[in-house]
Amino acid sequence: MRSSLRLELVAALAVGLLLAAVPMLIPGNITLLNLGILTFLYVAQGVAWNILGGFAGYVSFGYAAFFGLGAYTTALLWLAGWSPVLTYPIGGLVAAAFSLLVGAPTLRLVGPYFSIATIGVGEAMRILMLNLDKITGGASGLNLPTVVPSKTWFYFVALICAATSYAVAAWIRTSRFGLGLTALRLDLEAAESLGVRTTLFKNLAHIVSAALVGACGGVYATYLQYVHPDTVFSFTLSISLVLIALIGGLGTVWGPVLGAVVFFVVQDYLQTSYPTFHLLVYGLLLLVIILFEPGGMAGLAGRLVARRRGASAGPPAADPAPHAEHERAPMPRADAERPGTERTT
Amino acid sequence: MTTALTLDRITKRFGGLAALQEVTVQIASGDITGLIGPNGAGKTTLFSIIAGKTRPTVGRVLCFGHDVTGWSAHAVCRLGVCTTHQVVRPFGDLTVLENVRVGASFGASGRLGGRTAEEEAGEILTFVGLAHRRDSLASALTLAQRKRLEIARALATRPAVLLLDEVLAGLTPAEIQQAVELVRQIRARGITIVMIEHVMRAVMDLSDRVLVLNYGRLIADGSPAVVANSPQVIEAYLGEKISES
Repeated sequence: MRSSLRLELVAALAVGLLLAAVPMLIPGNITLLNLGILTFLYVAQGVAWNILGGFAGYVSFGYAAFFGLGAYTTALLWLAGWSPVLTYPIGGLVAAAFSLLVGAPTLRLVGPYFSIATIGVGEAMRILMLNLDKITGGASGLNLPTVVPSKTWFYFVALICAATSYAVAAWIRTSRFGLGLTALRLDLEAAESLGVRTTLFKNLAHIVSAALVGACGGVYATYLQYVHPDTVFSFTLSISLVLIALIGGLGTVWGPVLGAVVFFVVQDYLQTSYPTFHLLVYGLLLLVIILFEPGGMAGLAGRLVARRRGASAGPPAADPAPHAEHERAPMPRADAERPGTERTT
Repeated sequence: MTTALTLDRITKRFGGLAALQEVTVQIASGDITGLIGPNGAGKTTLFSIIAGKTRPTVGRVLCFGHDVTGWSAHAVCRLGVCTTHQVVRPFGDLTVLENVRVGASFGASGRLGGRTAEEEAGEILTFVGLAHRRDSLASALTLAQRKRLEIARALATRPAVLLLDEVLAGLTPAEIQQAVELVRQIRARGITIVMIEHVMRAVMDLSDRVLVLNYGRLIADGSPAVVANSPQVIEAYLGEKISES
């Protein structure tokens, strides 16, 4: 298990370096850089969302609030004369602080109740920001300075965002903290009775992922040089993050990476070809995934790998399923003994 | 003998129903205490209150001198009081080893890191006799194995007091024998045990002391022999069950 983890990290590092080399290998391709920047930002956010939504199992539809807060923090500080790079972490901190404020009451809810509460929070933030026009520019948004670094610079910053999210998620996955999150997702009460501080852990996961998403919001604001409450606080953005994680594979580290790439490519293609049609396609995609492959692309890939190994290496060594069947074989006998002694309580 | 647990006039009401009334008990450290009584007597409610899952309406719970009334379950666990669940609750998607690692990584053992927690979990699996299933998914275990896993997970938290809620229910006679042996070995490690049990022979065999609850009241308290002969207990509960089996 540890060796496969190392392999995964090496693969991630290789992909990261390859992507970092792209601007040098294919210089001057603005479209490619633009595609890269937006995709990396989606990757960073999808992976970050998955820390709470996938690892801890708290599906939030309110992450646009964190993205928007990060975007506006950066925008306002930038207008006040700060250097944009310094404002990204501050945007993250503001988002993190807000996530604590929201999470402390809402993370007490479970399942769909939590999800619905987060929809309310996200939409409330959008409407609030739309009406705070003295600060946010309201319905006309805020125009930001036009003097910006190059697209290549943004390409690297976005790549760093994605890499940071990935590293944080990968670390959490293997840490004691991650084990606690998994335990509380599978059975909150059992986790609690084994000493897991479930409330603390849920809130920590929320804060970490909100901070990452907030920083992405800042990068996005400086990249577009324009912020508007309806775009940075949009419900569509919140849903996108859920979709990315679902398409890629809930609760895996690299699932949302794949999910974000597929999501963005599909979105890019559909929005240009069928502008009104793309939501329908997402709806269908979501249905298909939930019905046929709840593990998303990561689940599908895992199954294919298991099947291939099963075919080449012989069944008992690689595939755990027949092995388990084999071990379970004595059970019917135990069952046969049981009725005579079974107590009806 | 030091006192591990003190229950001081515990009363729990669910609306108009008094599930527990004025239960006062001291549990000596190192003992195996059996907690018996008919269904609905309030045994599991009492466990929930000790474990911090439910707050008593009135009364206090003291563990090793700390007043833990109103503490959350994880805090009580880290103090060294761990409960197993009547209906086993394994983390089905995790392997047996990972399940136990949760207990070892959190719990009273404090912050054990990845390797140490894994080693500790491995040792405990050997101790409870599940080492051969360490890499199976918990959902693939038989009932008897799941009950062992439940105990292993609880042991991994390094409890000073272990509350076992019907760990023998649904097992075959052979499995019961093994489980009883396991409980003895746990006590030999110096762990105080309180067990709710319906399998009378096992309780009477194992316990140093038996408490009997009926309709939320403590109606008997003493050595197994004394309790088994108490007319009140026979009337309320035991007489019926003994003639049945």
